Amino acid sequence: MWLQVVSEILKLTVFAGLTLAGILAILIWKKDLKTKITYMRFLVQAASMVAFYLLFSYTTELLLILAAIFVLSIFWGRLFCGWLCPFGFYMDLTAVVRKAFKARYWNIPDKLNKALDKLRYAILAFFLCLPFMLGPIEPWQWPLVKFLVGPFKPMSVLLSPVEPLVIPWESAVKLYGINLSYPYASVIAYYSGEKFALLSITIFAFLTLASSFVVRRFWCRFCPTGATFSALNRFKPFSWIPILRLHKVEEKCTKCGICRRVCPATVTEVYDRKGGDIKTSMCMLCLRCVEMCPYEDCLRLNLAGKTVFRSRNWLEPSKIE
Amino acid sequence: MATVAGIDMGVQNVKVVILKGGEILSYGLAPSGFEPEKAAEQAFEEALGKAGITPSQVVHVAATGVGVELASRVDSKVSVVSADAKAAVHLYPSARTVVDVGAEESRVIRCDGKGTVLDFAINERCAAGAGAFLEAMARALEVRLEDMGRLSLEAEGTVSISATCVIFGESDVVSLIHKQVPKHDIARAVYDALAERITSMIHRVGLEPPVVLVGGVARDVGFAAALKRKLEAEILIPDHPEMAGALGAALHALEKVGEA
Amino acid sequence: MEASAGKKYGVELPPKEAEELRKAMKTASAKLMNEYVERMRKAWPNRPKVMQYFDDVARFFDTRERELLKAKEEGKKVVGYTCMFAPIELILAAGAIPVRVACGVYDAVKLGNRIVPVEVCPVVRSTVGAGMVDLSPFIELSDALITALTCDGMTKLSEILSDKKPVWTLNPPRLKDAPQSTRFWREELKTVKTKLEKLTGTKITAKGLKSAIEIMHRATRAFKRLQEIRRSNPPVIMGRDAMLVNQTAMWDDIERWTAKTEELCMELEKRAGEKVWACPPDTPRVMLAGSPAIWPDNWKLPNIVEEATPQGVIVADEFCFGDRFLFDPVGVDEWTMEDMFNAVAERYLLPSTCPYFTSEDGNEDRVNWLIARIKERRVDGVIYHVFRGCMLYAIEYMRIKRALDKINVPVYYLDTDYTREDVGQLKTRVEAFLEMLKSRVEV
Repeated sequence: MWLQVVSEILKLTVFAGLTLAGILAILIWKKDLKTKITYMRFLVQAASMVAFYLLFSYTTELLLILAAIFVLSIFWGRLFCGWLCPFGFYMDLTAVVRKAFKARYWNIPDKLNKALDKLRYAILAFFLCLPFMLGPIEPWQWPLVKFLVGPFKPMSVLLSPVEPLVIPWESAVKLYGINLSYPYASVIAYYSGEKFALLSITIFAFLTLASSFVVRRFWCRFCPTGATFSALNRFKPFSWIPILRLHKVEEKCTKCGICRRVCPATVTEVYDRKGGDIKTSMCMLCLRCVEMCPYEDCLRLNLAGKTVFRSRNWLEPSKIE
Repeated sequence: MATVAGIDMGVQNVKVVILKGGEILSYGLAPSGFEPEKAAEQAFEEALGKAGITPSQVVHVAATGVGVELASRVDSKVSVVSADAKAAVHLYPSARTVVDVGAEESRVIRCDGKGTVLDFAINERCAAGAGAFLEAMARALEVRLEDMGRLSLEAEGTVSISATCVIFGESDVVSLIHKQVPKHDIARAVYDALAERITSMIHRVGLEPPVVLVGGVARDVGFAAALKRKLEAEILIPDHPEMAGALGAALHALEKVGEA
Repeated sequence: MEASAGKKYGVELPPKEAEELRKAMKTASAKLMNEYVERMRKAWPNRPKVMQYFDDVARFFDTRERELLKAKEEGKKVVGYTCMFAPIELILAAGAIPVRVACGVYDAVKLGNRIVPVEVCPVVRSTVGAGMVDLSPFIELSDALITALTCDGMTKLSEILSDKKPVWTLNPPRLKDAPQSTRFWREELKTVKTKLEKLTGTKITAKGLKSAIEIMHRATRAFKRLQEIRRSNPPVIMGRDAMLVNQTAMWDDIERWTAKTEELCMELEKRAGEKVWACPPDTPRVMLAGSPAIWPDNWKLPNIVEEATPQGVIVADEFCFGDRFLFDPVGVDEWTMEDMFNAVAERYLLPSTCPYFTSEDGNEDRVNWLIARIKERRVDGVIYHVFRGCMLYAIEYMRIKRALDKINVPVYYLDTDYTREDVGQLKTRVEAFLEMLKSRVEV
């Protein structure tokens, strides 16, 4: 018993150590300032996926995992979407493949972008209301129970993007004895029934991956999980809570438009805004804009008001050299 | 207490002020003509004579104006703008805006209580905003420049003439004469035109009363009256307004010697 | 627009007279360049040796003119441009040599006055005059001219120049923030791209464009490195010398210029470490804003500022012929042809603070740029330099003044022309301003 605990702790320590080593390696050896943060983020996304696998292998208590993620996200807003979400990782991987083929992406027109933004909240609301609309209402089936473990499992929907590619429980798809999965696979399986589960999952996987080849971060525009996080940013009573914020210093901005062009979430607020905190709900804090802004100290990432990362003149050799 | 001198190499006249401590001992003035260095010496000697002192008793000579290199003895230089501000605040400690209308250049200066310049404007390179304008108009009216001021005070009606250019102004005056407009009305219009130009310069720099009016043209009662009409603010005119530049230079000399 | 057969803007000079005038003006201009270089050398006793390279390039009648002639003999094409909107990366990617053409010679104005009235911007009159006698080597050696239809002067200059050379116009939209503006601007640049490819016979490939962008990245890096150095208080480089380095980038071989500028920067950084200053610590730090002061004759104002009593030092300027030239890098995301082209297009349009632009909600880009430079370089005062006839800079003066009054920085409006006669008057004003700055600093 003790041996098992110790070996688990060792495993986790090695994993954490490797991740940190990787981050340090990128900080020291990656010279090109324009892509340093992006590489770091990639590493953190990969590590996050492994972490979720480990987490699921310890407990399938969705409740606990959910609570942890949501509580943390209250404070760091949509950082989850940019740095920890495995689904986001898959989409970023397809983007790498796209870049290797020198294929160009399609920029969603502004009006459509805004419409899809609203659609996210509609989808979220739909899944949250589902238990109330369907299913038998019996005295012991409190709404809360339905929410958590009842039929149609809205909580499971919210947790779906977190499903790693390799899962520690039985799945429909097996490869050399390893159980494979895909985000939203269990939800889709539940709704489509056993006969069509595999087909539906495959179609969904194909659609989302193929679209991500053409539109950057395609699923993020529909994701109910993301909508939950951004609800906090959007609604005034909660807008003071997130402690991680993007901030723009108006004087230093030359309106060069680079931030707007490189944003995978097609956020225009960083460009449009005349200084101050960026409050948009589409921003995933991927920090691509801060990384690519060529003017020193124009865009900042603030943690509880203190600046932890700022834009700099990336034409300069890295100071760590 | 040190004895210092300030020289203002003006375009028409060279002015000298001799200062001991904070007290003005004497003035000197000579027309610049073609040989400003001789005029400077002349004015300096005149001032020395009136003060009853020798050149060696003067510890420091500061100069301002155009062509300061031509004066034979110059220990330091200061710009006319700074000099005017210092002189105005010395004469009137509450002064905050200084208007210096010279023969060919006009300046408006805003300063603080210590005489430090906060902002200034110099007229746009055209003599229409300075004394030369009045000279040309007096010629057109066929009156003496010294008399035009008093003449304008007798005006009954109001007419206006162009303020943008001496040439245009002159032709306006001639046409008014042909229309049989009385000379005193035209004279007043001349001063109004000049005051208008100066007033817009003042507003560009920012008006902070009281206003001190210096420079040769300040002696002209016609101009002083016209400026009072345009600017609804207190206007102070010292006894020797043309000496302001030289006084400012002398005060600068005093600072250099260590007795601010 | 190909060069038309019959000249639209007449007034021809008989060839013999034109040739004599050209020789006379060239000699006078070369002499003036030498004189100004000497004055810069005198004013800064321990001027770095590498500045001699820039002095040589500045005397373009000898050095650069010969190089361009030789390049043309070898078959290379030269593309001139009047305004900062011309996409240098595209010119380089097409294998042509970019040179900026705008005349800074005062004497040429007298000839230009025969075609264009005196009220018009002197830069235009001077360029027109130079064109009449084939004075400017850069115009003469250009195979095509890229002009930007920005202010009235530049727009009509473009027409007049089309009498001499093929002119390719670029039409920047005045409201650069509008979404349709970037689309339109991309189309404008696509047209120029096609013309460049046709002229040089070289297709602009992704690889070619990438290498051109990287060349300009290195140049921008050197340019900005020098600007960083100018922040130091006291300064390690005098303003006129920095301005000379800035301007030579516009007609010199850009890669060679980059190497020499990096060399200069290393020397200056060393001096900063050893505390070898270029001028005393309490020298008033001046910024020149407004109409650009173009080499050589327009060194009039910088000369006055840095040779005045009290001496001032120019630590920044707002000129499209100065600190703004290579201020913004091209921000490429994915290195595909599409992305690189978009990046280049946006770089030339969006961050520009030319007063030609306006906006519906405040038009603050220029104000922000000025304030950022003032704070960065610790500027004590701004001299707002406007040429007679320059409407855009003249009208914006009040706006800039109000904004700078808020941060308590004095601004002085100085209007001048392409003439040497007003040096005395300018000196009076500048000296009064510098005295005012000095007394403020002391307080």
